[in-house]
Amino acid sequence: MYTTIAIEDLGKPSVMLTDQDFIRDSGSAASSRGMPGLRVIHVPKSSGSGVMEKTETRIAKVFDDIITMLTEPLTAEEQSPKPMELEKPSRIIFKGDLEDVNRFLYRRGWADGLPVIPPTEKAVDEMLTGTDLDPAHIVAELLPRKGKATVEKIAVNAVMAGALPTHMPVLIAAVQALSEPASRYDSVHDNLGSWPPFWIINGPVRNDIRVNCGVGIFSPGDIANAAIGRAMGLIIRNIGGVRKGIEDAGEIGNPGKYSLVLGEHEEESPWDPLHMERGFEREDSTVTLSFPRMLTDTMASFFIEPKATGAGRILDTMAGAVQAANFTSFVLGPLTAKSLCKDGWTKEKIKEFISTNADLPSGPAPVSTGHSTTHQRPTLDPDGILIVVAGASNSASIHLLPGERIAPSYSPITKKFEPHNFITKKVELPKNWDELVKKYRNIVPVYAKY
Amino acid sequence: MNTGELNGQYEVISPWAEVDPVPLRGISPRLTELPDKKIGIFRNFKPAAEEIAVTIEGMLKERFPAAEISWYHSNGPNVLETETEHKAEFEDWVKGIDAAVTVIGD
Repeated sequence: MYTTIAIEDLGKPSVMLTDQDFIRDSGSAASSRGMPGLRVIHVPKSSGSGVMEKTETRIAKVFDDIITMLTEPLTAEEQSPKPMELEKPSRIIFKGDLEDVNRFLYRRGWADGLPVIPPTEKAVDEMLTGTDLDPAHIVAELLPRKGKATVEKIAVNAVMAGALPTHMPVLIAAVQALSEPASRYDSVHDNLGSWPPFWIINGPVRNDIRVNCGVGIFSPGDIANAAIGRAMGLIIRNIGGVRKGIEDAGEIGNPGKYSLVLGEHEEESPWDPLHMERGFEREDSTVTLSFPRMLTDTMASFFIEPKATGAGRILDTMAGAVQAANFTSFVLGPLTAKSLCKDGWTKEKIKEFISTNADLPSGPAPVSTGHSTTHQRPTLDPDGILIVVAGASNSASIHLLPGERIAPSYSPITKKFEPHNFITKKVELPKNWDELVKKYRNIVPVYAKY
Repeated sequence: MNTGELNGQYEVISPWAEVDPVPLRGISPRLTELPDKKIGIFRNFKPAAEEIAVTIEGMLKERFPAAEISWYHSNGPNVLETETEHKAEFEDWVKGIDAAVTVIGD
């Protein structure tokens, strides 16, 4: 899309062919880049997915359209597009009872299907106690709409998600992470692959706000894990402007987009925690972002005809679970991590082992830039592997979250291709943090006895 | 969270972010005909893009035997080539063609 716009900007007529899956997204992208008249042809699903008609048949159906779009004179609107009426909702957008508010927000596409807490002035003011930043301060502009992520808008979405004011520092750091070009957010938000943001929280803030690091980390039932992930989903939707079925073109979707948040179980890890590995001090609190495809339990392969025992068996399982030379996160149960550490395995050594022994698909992968194409055998860069320890203290589990490819992507900041990476941001706490923690930390479930 | 509900009524703040307006511009004038023109075919990195682009090239050659075809392919998704290290190469390629078909496969 963007290159087609560049061709038009250089004075040459063009037509873009893309999948029918992107019918709505391509129109949105062209408008957001200031060229709503861009001529686009949507072809039926491509053979990349191995389905349906032959390519020749599909292209034959649109070939005359290609010629027409390169030769048919421009309409007045294509020559000089009229400015689109930008919706600028008033700050107070609606008044009604609880059900009315929920129906209104849902119908506007601003909710995620679950009920929300009404973001009233009073509720947002309370949420803003979780930061020392001015409500008008712009933390980032989030793609694709380049929406201004002011502190107030972050707080509004946090209220809707059911977050607590003590979650605000984490949400602000998470928005900063999302806006880093190397996070790949620019290219995954509209992808057919439906990658959810995966947030790992480290440092003392985990305990201050009770991020679950132990039993059932990925299950519902903890405000911090649930509301922080949900708030970020609403922020992506309402500040980034990612609309389901338009910019979010995920064909199947991903339940992780509701919330995929964990705290590292640092107290049960035999190694330095993730944030220290990434250059922060132990007493710092951080949030780390990546975009995996799914969460996979590798225990099935662990139990099938093991070639080794002990640490060797764990390592074989990890290396065998990797299916592509992509970013890869492992969530190791504390017992798994301790078994490896006991046998002398550091995280660095484990990554090297996986890199060397991963069972990657054979055959060269095409890598093309400019006019030329070269072929490279796939290799898994150890820096593309993340290891975090979490889960119940007695957990011997090995979970894999495979991510996107490691190939560099374009950075609009540095104006060149930059490596992708896991993004870690420091969580900055407000001056009144201890008071806030005292106020909100005791919000915990007390289960009925039976 | 205290929402400040009054008589069962809630006044809610919009969660929708503000944006700066984007200046709009038109697309380039079209060609009057294609038979002897130099047509560029741009494809992105997806495997299907190459297959589609090759098919289009074949059909263009068949329909316009005197037309010249020039290729450019990119490795980056959602990338504006003019802002990459390939800027000069890309701009030279665009200067050398009369029109372009861009293929974004998936």
